[in-house]
Amino acid sequence: MNAKKWVSTLLTACMVMLLLAACGKGNNEGAASSSSASASPSASASESASASPSAAPADLSGKLTVWTYFDQVKILADNFMKVHPNVKVDVQIFPGDQYQTKLMSALQSGKNTPDIMDLDHGYIGKFLESPFLADLSAMGGEDLVKSYVPYVTAYGRSADGKLRAISDNSSPGGFWYVRETAKKYLGTDDPDQISAMVDSWDKVIELGKKVAKDSGGKVHLIQGASGLFDIEAFNTESWVKDGKLNIDPKWKDTYATQLKIRSEGVDAKLGFMSSGWGSALNDGSVVLTSMPSWATFMIGNKDGAAKGKFGIAKTPEGWYNGGRWEAIYDKSPNKELAYEFLKYVASPEWQTINLQQTGNMPSNAAVFDQLQDSFKGDLYGDQLILKGFAEQMKSMPARQPNKYDDDILGKWVKVASQGIDNNTPYDDVVAAFKKEVKNTYPEIQVD
Amino acid sequence: MKSKVNKSVYGYLFISPFFIAYTVMGLVPILYTLYLSFTKWDGFTNPIYVGFANYERLLHDTFFYQTIGNTLIIWIFSIVPQLIIALLLALILNEKFIKGKHFFRAVFYFPHIITPITLGVMFALMFDWQTGSINMLLMKIGVIHDPIHWFNNPWWSRIIAASVICWQYFGFNLIVFIAGMQSIPTEVFEAAEVDGASKSQVAWRITLPLLRPVFLFTLITSVIGGLQLFDAPLMLGDGPGNSGRTMIMYLYETAFKSFDYSYGAAIAYGIFIIIMIFTAITAKATKMTKEA
Repeated sequence: MNAKKWVSTLLTACMVMLLLAACGKGNNEGAASSSSASASPSASASESASASPSAAPADLSGKLTVWTYFDQVKILADNFMKVHPNVKVDVQIFPGDQYQTKLMSALQSGKNTPDIMDLDHGYIGKFLESPFLADLSAMGGEDLVKSYVPYVTAYGRSADGKLRAISDNSSPGGFWYVRETAKKYLGTDDPDQISAMVDSWDKVIELGKKVAKDSGGKVHLIQGASGLFDIEAFNTESWVKDGKLNIDPKWKDTYATQLKIRSEGVDAKLGFMSSGWGSALNDGSVVLTSMPSWATFMIGNKDGAAKGKFGIAKTPEGWYNGGRWEAIYDKSPNKELAYEFLKYVASPEWQTINLQQTGNMPSNAAVFDQLQDSFKGDLYGDQLILKGFAEQMKSMPARQPNKYDDDILGKWVKVASQGIDNNTPYDDVVAAFKKEVKNTYPEIQVD
Repeated sequence: MKSKVNKSVYGYLFISPFFIAYTVMGLVPILYTLYLSFTKWDGFTNPIYVGFANYERLLHDTFFYQTIGNTLIIWIFSIVPQLIIALLLALILNEKFIKGKHFFRAVFYFPHIITPITLGVMFALMFDWQTGSINMLLMKIGVIHDPIHWFNNPWWSRIIAASVICWQYFGFNLIVFIAGMQSIPTEVFEAAEVDGASKSQVAWRITLPLLRPVFLFTLITSVIGGLQLFDAPLMLGDGPGNSGRTMIMYLYETAFKSFDYSYGAAIAYGIFIIIMIFTAITAKATKMTKEA
């Protein structure tokens, strides 16, 4: 009897211990451990892009933890470890929709924090004003970005002007087209000629009407009127100025253009990244698809099926969409080593490898300058795609981020998209939009 | 002889795992949410106490009231056909002469196994404006000339969301009804047969009245579940003018998209109170029915 009691007590105690152990365990759920599969770069860094790896490779040693939501960071880490064999980089990947919450919880609690964290364009503004990001300017970061595309640098600065995050990509956008379809409906597949055909929205509408007529309404010139939201997103003023909601007058013209595009049958009414959008991009049932350079994963290129199939033309205005910045946790015990990692991120050496391996466009203007006359992507035949992007990337307005812009833009997109579908007058769209903003952000003054 | 209750402390050890788990995983977050609802917190700085400001904001929040209405509409649109379909099928599949009834029971139950997110995505693709199979089919058979923009109409948005839920749960209710029917003593049916009752008379006068407890169970569980509609409607979007946004969707958007944790916490408690009110009404109705 006594023994029975003893055993049952012990078992119960074990259960309680197990439970407590489970609760107190380091929270690494969903985190992919560091990748050991090295992604061997198919091409070495360009000769002209001078590699400037910082410290002597053998001098650096230690371990870095990088948090991200983007699996290609493993390629970056593997390449960094090739240059610095004594450094171990542990890349932990979290699902994109949970990443921000996960990161905020870790930073707030100060437990299980990363040394380096990835921040998306959509929410970097909030993090830049938080006390968690190291001041890269004080560590010599200004040197890293001195030849950078201006808007990329600006988007990594906090309100006090200090650099707190840097990016290895610039995410430029353009009109992707299937060459065969372009020849059929536009009479040419030459990117410069097509760019000239669509260098204003009026021309886009006229050409769109012609394509719709020629194809009996089966083929459309562009995917969706909603594409203009992305194109205008950073060619307009910030949504909040001095604590007040600011609606750039340019949005009114843009909305009028969008209504016209819809009413004239210029667009295929497909939402960005929807399944129909993906099909149209690949089968050419839409002539021009506006998308950022990182969206090429939507192109079906199994066994090189899309080799030389596409061309890229310029949109009426230069633009970019999205992007991923990297920052150092201010209380990281490995700040110096983390800074070496960021040095590599900013280097032409890495950005060249990145361009060749993943097609991600560089943020370092030096890479544009050195490769624009020679770089050819697999999908684009002989087109020198960097040449087209270089000019527009350098001339994009360098806008400081804030914690509201992306969210408020999302609200505008939601309300204005419904307006386009229903042919709603602009003032009604603005009224509905103001109501949304006022409700979500009571602290913003809405007139 | 006196009965003696054994007050051994070991009992507490045995029940402790649940209570520890509940305290850590359930009670602490619930209480912390209550604390947050009295603060202003964006997740970066420390929470600042603001008293009832969030609740005051909630009381004047027309968007929140709209979500209550949306949730109720979607719930009613899903529960009514759900129960009717489940009941009719249960009556049919409960007949002895039906062949392959086990196969059909399994088939009707399948949607309940699929996650609501998957169903939401599936319906969103099916009812897509330009590429959805529903529009393609209707155009093919000549019912419509141009594709219908289903999600641009407040009522269609809600009906589609309700359809997803209806389709997911009618199989579950079907099984519950069949189980209820099988618990009715066969003697009752035999007596009815002897008295010459028709099939419809048996259904109306015997089966349905005796299924009342099962109906009540279904109703209570669906009230609690229905007011927490979230995942399937989320996949279908907010709808025009936010007409498809449910209470929990609004909570999710506030707390985890706009990262206004403190107001999100106040919304959570607002929803808690609403669900409590509706559950109390249902419980009251149940009591009245029992007394009747």
